[in-house]
Amino acid sequence: MNEAKSRFPRSQAAVVGIGCTEFSRNSGVSVFTLAARAVKTAVADAGLKMSDVDGLATFGTNDSIAPNVLAPSLGMKSLNFYVDQWYGGSVSLSILGQATLAVSAGVADCVVGYRAINGRSENRLNGSATTVARQPWDMPVKASAGIVAPAQEIALAARSHMERYGTTSEDLGRIALLGRRNALDNERAMMRMPMTMEDYLASRWIVDPFRKFDCCLETDGAVAFVVVSAERAKDLPHRPVLVGGAAWGGGVNIVNNGHEDLSQSPARMIAPRLYAAAGLGPSDIDFAELYDCFTYTVLSQIEGYGFAEPGAVPNMMIDGAFDRSGGSLPINTHGGLLSEGYLHGLNHVYEAVEQIRGDAGPRQVDKHDVALVTGQLGYVSGYSSAAVLVGA
Amino acid sequence: MMAGPRIAPVPDQDSAPYWSALAEGRLELQHCRDCGHWTWPARPICSSCQGESLSWEKVSGAGEVHSWIVTHQPYGPAFVDEVPFTVVLVRLDEQPDILIPGPLASEVVVHQGLRVHAVPERVTDTVGVVTWQADAEDNE
Repeated sequence: MNEAKSRFPRSQAAVVGIGCTEFSRNSGVSVFTLAARAVKTAVADAGLKMSDVDGLATFGTNDSIAPNVLAPSLGMKSLNFYVDQWYGGSVSLSILGQATLAVSAGVADCVVGYRAINGRSENRLNGSATTVARQPWDMPVKASAGIVAPAQEIALAARSHMERYGTTSEDLGRIALLGRRNALDNERAMMRMPMTMEDYLASRWIVDPFRKFDCCLETDGAVAFVVVSAERAKDLPHRPVLVGGAAWGGGVNIVNNGHEDLSQSPARMIAPRLYAAAGLGPSDIDFAELYDCFTYTVLSQIEGYGFAEPGAVPNMMIDGAFDRSGGSLPINTHGGLLSEGYLHGLNHVYEAVEQIRGDAGPRQVDKHDVALVTGQLGYVSGYSSAAVLVGA
Repeated sequence: MMAGPRIAPVPDQDSAPYWSALAEGRLELQHCRDCGHWTWPARPICSSCQGESLSWEKVSGAGEVHSWIVTHQPYGPAFVDEVPFTVVLVRLDEQPDILIPGPLASEVVVHQGLRVHAVPERVTDTVGVVTWQADAEDNE
């Protein structure tokens, strides 16, 4: 890795409030409703009033409710800052990074980040809603080849890793099982029935090498978080969760970035800058919430964010290295996108904040001061994003 | 023969020559007259030297499989009669960072490194698509 430099405003802003709706397969309400509920809950959790909020940050693929619509409905007369970013989970942590920049620079005082989707009942995220009209520049070459779904693109990366390192179906299955175990005592989780390796291997093929249980859950719901300056955070109800560092940028789209080997984790492109921003390294991370739209992306991120050499993850997983209890790096402590729900990654932020506060109840990990939270690796968009959160 | 479902592309100003060459039976990529770099998918500038001196040139269509998947999920009406089908991601001989996906029309055991070649197929007068075929059909 090259020596990375960063002038990120380390720990100058903090997440002080979190909110979410129920996660379900059919919310029965609009994304507008979901967004409003999550934002109101997060602002109340922060001990703030809606009139304190002067920035909104969100992302989506034209499937949600925009800041310029939400702000006046929430009683915000004028925004001092907004982000309304195209794309899905690959940019999920970039909105936290941008909110941090805005607050640290004094552009805005209080920024709420949110993601609201009816990802199952309205705008299915599995790829079946793909239409030519909505496609970015590089989509026609993929669609004309029969590739319309993220599962297909990331399965191509997974297969490449299996070919190079001998990674097996059972190795992917252990990642699904880990998520499920962690979801069992999570009241927010959509999947709370136990799963065995036999269950995993018997689940139907979606895109070989991915079975049903390699894939996350199309979900209806919303998550929101509140960012203010670290100074102001001291006077608010909860333990401040400082944004130690964030990075967003490089990812590996399967066709257009000029990369040659999909088995190599795209996380390596932003990890040096992320750790430089935070002034920390992989050994400083207590637990990690890793973007698990599919099982394989967990493995790829453990490698790419510097916790394992390429090919080493399966044996570490067998040894329990990533278990919530007793593992050296507990991951996806709530069950992740695979078993809690797919809120495009923002439910990872929610869980990390609860853990750092010490409010995770039966899920609470022993060491919970420093968390890595990540977005998708960019196999679809070419972007990726991540943040390091630090308890004050 | 056509293998796998296709979402027909809508050619744009930059990509139209790519799709129409395929319709006429040729796999053509943009080649930079200044630096010799191949670029794909279609774009208005060379991704190596950023020049605009790109010309469409026929390539060998030969390459090797870097990765592959077998899609079982019917992601829409076009998929229903086609699943399961195999898509390969092919590293073109001309340049190692050009990875072109497409259905594999051959009944062979797929693996990384499998030698394949492009078979352009006409959809309309201005749009064609790529299917891949194994060089040795009987390599099992």
